[in-house]
Amino acid sequence: MKPGEHRETIDSSREEQLSLLQTITMEVAAAGDLSSALEVVLRRVCEKTGWALGQAWVPNQDRTALDCGPGWFCGNTDLKRFRAASEEAHFIPGVGLPGRVWKSKRPAWIEDVTLDGNFPRNKAAGKVGLKAAVGIPILSGDEVIAVIEFFVQEARAQDERLVKVITAVAAQLDLVMERKRAEEKLSTTNEILQSILSSMADAVIVADPQGNFLLFNPAAERMFGRGATQTASSEWSQQYGLYLPDRVTPFPPDQLPLTRSIRGEEVNNVEIFVRHAKAPQGLWTRVNGRPLRGPDSEVTGGVIVCRDITEVKKEEFFLFDQSRVLEMIAANASLSEVLTSLVLLMEGQADGLRCSILLLDQDGKHVRHGAAPNLPETYVKAVDGAAIGPRNGSCGTAMYLRKPVVVKDVMTDPLWADYRTLAEICGLRACWSTPILSPQGEVLGSFAMYRQETRGPLPEELRLTQIATHIAGIAIERQRVQETLREREARINLAAESADLAFWVIYPEQKTAWMSDKGRVIYGFDPDLPLTRDLICARVHPDERAAAHAAFDRACESHGTFESEHRLVLPHGRTRWVIVRGRCLADEHGNLLELIGVTIDVSAQKQTDLQLQIQREEMSHLNRVALMGEMTASVAHELNQPLTAIANNASAARRFLERGNIDPALLQQLLQDMVADSQRAGEVIRGIRALVQKDKNIARSVLNLNAVIADTLRLVSSDVLLRESAVATEMDHTLPQVEAAPVQIQQVLLNLIMNALDAVESLPPAERRIIVRTRSLNGEKAEVSVRDFGAGLPKDRPDKVFDHFFSTKQTGMGMGLTIVRSIIEMHGGKITAENAPDRGARFSFHLPAARRDSRSEAA
Amino acid sequence: MTPSNKSTAEIVCLVDDDPGVLKSIGRLLVSEGLLVRSFDKPKTFLAYVQTNRVPLVVLDIWMEEMSGLEVQEQISVLSPSTRVIIITGREDPVAKLTALDRGVFAFLTKPFDAEEFLVAVRGALAMEISS
Repeated sequence: MKPGEHRETIDSSREEQLSLLQTITMEVAAAGDLSSALEVVLRRVCEKTGWALGQAWVPNQDRTALDCGPGWFCGNTDLKRFRAASEEAHFIPGVGLPGRVWKSKRPAWIEDVTLDGNFPRNKAAGKVGLKAAVGIPILSGDEVIAVIEFFVQEARAQDERLVKVITAVAAQLDLVMERKRAEEKLSTTNEILQSILSSMADAVIVADPQGNFLLFNPAAERMFGRGATQTASSEWSQQYGLYLPDRVTPFPPDQLPLTRSIRGEEVNNVEIFVRHAKAPQGLWTRVNGRPLRGPDSEVTGGVIVCRDITEVKKEEFFLFDQSRVLEMIAANASLSEVLTSLVLLMEGQADGLRCSILLLDQDGKHVRHGAAPNLPETYVKAVDGAAIGPRNGSCGTAMYLRKPVVVKDVMTDPLWADYRTLAEICGLRACWSTPILSPQGEVLGSFAMYRQETRGPLPEELRLTQIATHIAGIAIERQRVQETLREREARINLAAESADLAFWVIYPEQKTAWMSDKGRVIYGFDPDLPLTRDLICARVHPDERAAAHAAFDRACESHGTFESEHRLVLPHGRTRWVIVRGRCLADEHGNLLELIGVTIDVSAQKQTDLQLQIQREEMSHLNRVALMGEMTASVAHELNQPLTAIANNASAARRFLERGNIDPALLQQLLQDMVADSQRAGEVIRGIRALVQKDKNIARSVLNLNAVIADTLRLVSSDVLLRESAVATEMDHTLPQVEAAPVQIQQVLLNLIMNALDAVESLPPAERRIIVRTRSLNGEKAEVSVRDFGAGLPKDRPDKVFDHFFSTKQTGMGMGLTIVRSIIEMHGGKITAENAPDRGARFSFHLPAARRDSRSEAA
Repeated sequence: MTPSNKSTAEIVCLVDDDPGVLKSIGRLLVSEGLLVRSFDKPKTFLAYVQTNRVPLVVLDIWMEEMSGLEVQEQISVLSPSTRVIIITGREDPVAKLTALDRGVFAFLTKPFDAEEFLVAVRGALAMEISS
């Protein structure tokens, strides 16, 4: 077939074709999508050119075959059968008319499809009488996006012009569709993006280089409390409530991640604290920012993504605060401070949560206030001191049962029967309590959570409880241990202070030393003086220094202990008596590390000893005075003077003689002095005798010896106590009265009792016993005996004790018992001394009973 | 009176208001080869000690004018380096304690053993020289 042969058959002028093109272009542009645009083309082409049927073919999804598109145009209802056949057909590239066009990407013309060998639908075409056909590709770039085909019921030769027109129309379609499809695609992407951006939890904000917000997603609005309002970037911190991690310093605007990313910086993991009207508690966000760049990598804006890390931070702070509470415990803060901090920490972890810690009293039966900073005072006071038990609220029961107690509603729970009114007043509704246990499983207290609504604990609250009881347990346990230690320390210090104990340590290697404050007082060291071993040793009195040093050195060599009683010579010549006890400490290799010890100031004790001695001496002095009347110390002095002179002169003479260089004149004088002094002494003694004579006239009266004994024992009672001895009495109440000088009888008793006390002094305190006994001898005589449990008297002749100058005592004068005997004998009585059958000595004296009328007589 | 020699340091001073005792102790010290200066009145001695070096003084406690302890108290101010030995005719623990507490070198009760006394004197002088 030749072109132009059927020119006249085309019922269309050039103008008509141009108008067709314009119409189609406009209608296609207006069409919503590719299929409706195709439909427009198919219909318009058929109407203007007189072709009977127009159909479109589009590649299937995987582009392996062409399927019949939904749009088509049919001028004759008979052709519907062919349409049905087409709808069932699929063409692979090269097959059939659509396949040929698809493959060649060029228009194809068939004069009579019924005669064509590559037209699978030829039967269907033949039935409806379709003959000529034309297929036109619709190309997008190099790709066939559709094939349109037209049929007519007569054989027609190829019309080149028609093909061009349709191709031009198809090209138009392509342009329009390309744009539409791009729009469609873009809008799909946008929709996805929009949906992501609006549903995502992270805040995304995009801004152009001038700081105008291009994107501000809903999460950003939520996070920053408001939408994008256009302000200068320098006001963002203020506007959106952005702070540095200290939570109070506004974030420097030029350091904000968005500002920095607009400047072209990459920003990683910047933490910002956000607080505004809609988030008064504040929230934490971690921000990453990137600059946006154009084709020439110039910065076209910035984008930030902000993640809400409030929960993470909360946990972080929670952990930090926990460690702070633990630090408080370690720093020995008071228990009440620690527990209050702990309760506040727990309360801060959940809204509307109130907590309390109660302690179990040392008696194990009552609760004591621990910490409840946010519970009403009425409640706290009411609970303090309450008993624990099986139905005693949540806490009392938890401590009693040693397990957690959950009360969801205190208004109905039987455990709260006694506390209901109180709970109501205080607005508490639910209370869950868990016992706080020591590592040994001992109940220390309880941790309770309160809520104003009725419910049980959430998993998070159970976790908090576990942490709280654990920390509280540590705190309480530690406080108890500390308290015990403090008490012990205080007791030791008190004991040390009151015992005048000084603690000291000597480091033999360094020759340095340490001494407690008390020690420095005892040794007379200034509080700040650096001490050395030598300084301490130098304080020892010269007389005892050698012995003290020897004891010290022996201890050092043997790594043992030492004890020394010596005097200290303090500055200004004062002295002090001390007892020093020390012990060596060595390491595991046996090297001497240090000597530790105590020094006890026994000056006061020595003073007491001395005073005791003075008392005793005064007593024995009294004895003499009683016997010798007005003989006083000055008399003794008087006698001593000539005796001293005689003794010295004699010694001097002997020494001169030994030297052999004595001047005879000097010797003469010396001897003369001795004679003179002897006479002087004689005078003194005569004076004493005169006094003794006078002594005979001491007034006598009728006495009950039991009463005199009682008086005497009162006199010596403090002495008995001091000597840790005991005096027992066995009084005969039928004892006859005697006639005697009471002072003298008292001297006798004093003498015997003091002797007995001396005799038992060396025994252990429990055995230091004396028995004073009275007995009536047929009503004619009154007998008194003083018995001790000491070493006893000389076995051969117990009576010897009454002899002059006999003494078993180192310091004794040997005069006491002689005087005693003379007093008794002067009263017409008798005194005997004997050893008791088992052990000890017994002194007995008896005095004659007073005559009935003796009262009227005065001796 | 006992010999005296101002050029020697080892002069022992004696203070006792009993002339017999004063004399006899002086003789005892001379027999030991010491130089002695005797005072029967404490005040005379206190005047002396202000202008002379006295290494050792032997003091009686019971004297008419003033007690030996009072004298000792003044010596400790006037001449701290002077060593003091106290002799007394009366057992008096309080006086003894007081004296020893004040750093008195020895406290002897009359009548005392001559050797014991001389040992104390020698000890006091040795300490004085070494100090």
